[in-house]
Amino acid sequence: MKQPGRIGSFEAVNITLSLILLFFIVAPLAALYLEASPSLAGEMMSNREVLGAIKVSLEASIVSVLILVATGVPLAYILSRTSFKGKNLVEAIVDIPLVMPHAVAGIMILSAFGSKGLLGPGLSRVGLVIEDSFPGIVLVMTFVSIPLLVDTVKVGFEIVGSSLEDVARTLGASRWTAFRTVTLPLAYRHILAGALLGWARGLSEVGALLVVAYYPKTVNILILDYLSVYGLKYAATLSALYSIIVLAIFVALRKVTVE
Amino acid sequence: MTLLLMENIEVTAGDFTLRIPRLEVARGEYLIVLGASGVGKTLLLNVIAGLAKPSKGTIMIDGRDSTRLPPEKRGIALVPQDYGLFPHMSVIENISYGLVVRGIPRREAYREAERIAELLGITSVINRKPVSLSGGEKQRVALARALVVKPKLVLLDEPLSSLDPGLRLKGLELLARIKSETHITVIHVTHDILDALYLADKIAYIDKGKLEGVYKPADFLHSPSSKPYLDILNLSRNLLGKIR
Repeated sequence: MKQPGRIGSFEAVNITLSLILLFFIVAPLAALYLEASPSLAGEMMSNREVLGAIKVSLEASIVSVLILVATGVPLAYILSRTSFKGKNLVEAIVDIPLVMPHAVAGIMILSAFGSKGLLGPGLSRVGLVIEDSFPGIVLVMTFVSIPLLVDTVKVGFEIVGSSLEDVARTLGASRWTAFRTVTLPLAYRHILAGALLGWARGLSEVGALLVVAYYPKTVNILILDYLSVYGLKYAATLSALYSIIVLAIFVALRKVTVE
Repeated sequence: MTLLLMENIEVTAGDFTLRIPRLEVARGEYLIVLGASGVGKTLLLNVIAGLAKPSKGTIMIDGRDSTRLPPEKRGIALVPQDYGLFPHMSVIENISYGLVVRGIPRREAYREAERIAELLGITSVINRKPVSLSGGEKQRVALARALVVKPKLVLLDEPLSSLDPGLRLKGLELLARIKSETHITVIHVTHDILDALYLADKIAYIDKGKLEGVYKPADFLHSPSSKPYLDILNLSRNLLGKIR
């Protein structure tokens, strides 16, 4: 019989493999902070270009998450509650941004919504230009985050199921009220988790942004700029600075969602 | 006086079709829907509640064509097999839910919920969450939540099936008490002949997706449909006799 607290071969293999994987994350992160220069970081904290890029990144990612939640939650609800012809196709479409190379995603967005793209002339007429613009950044961030939000929220709605909503309706609640008072409170953790993952994904995007909206510069673009112009030290310092801000927000939001 | 009248109903769920040529339930009647598992008993309740749409036929509730009426407009309360208690709400929030969504002020709704909780003997658990309740308590909370809105009709889906024998007997007594004290109209789905004989004014028998007939309990026992149920009752009696 296995002694309590004693590690057997099964646990030993699991722990070893897990540590190898965690090492792949922790080692580059540690290396980044070791490469970064604290004095340079201090200077960057008062650099208008850096502060502007951080502001653009955070603002665009927040707007993108709001759009994602407003449109992705209804889509996730439909996919979790109904069966219809072509549902598999819709689910596959939702996952396209996940499998598409980032530069290809940028080209797709540009081909569809760019001023010379399929819908560009129409968008230009209403004053919406996506090339090198804030709306372009929001569009890219939203595009790449769709699967993370929709798939996570869909799982949440599937776990809650429809039977409680049905009971609520027989007790006199309209569809809206049943959704608001029963399904939403039970699925909100998945909605928050999906929004958080979507936000993080949008914030980390750079490939599609290089194609669609180089300006106004987001932090990711600025890091690439620093790498090519000033070298690794500058790029690593800005990366470390940015990663601290993003990780702090991410940890705080995760804490809120878990609690 | 007729409360529910279903005629020529056909409803499909996946590959399964349920047919109800005619089902009439009088006001104040306790109708037991009896049938084996998978014959469409739950689907019948869902059609009556408005949660499943029939492809054919009409449903009249209280003299009004309700075939296309949404569930919240039917005045019918459903107690599902797993009781369907809202896990994020306390017992009192669960019981008062139907009143609150009707726009009744929360304080008034809570007062009414407390009154019905007392009637069903669950006052001591009203501040608890459903996860901490026993099977019998969950059943009472679900019944209280259904009864508090004073529905025209209560639908009970196998309300005693998940209870152990002791609680099951108490559950039967509770339902009998509700029947005699409130005279509310009930459609109670079960596969257990004991529930039917203990509670039913009438028994509707469903087999292979079709309502075969509606009987008074004594008449049902003389019908060919009752054979498997009588066999199991006789077997129980013989076994008891042998063991004793």
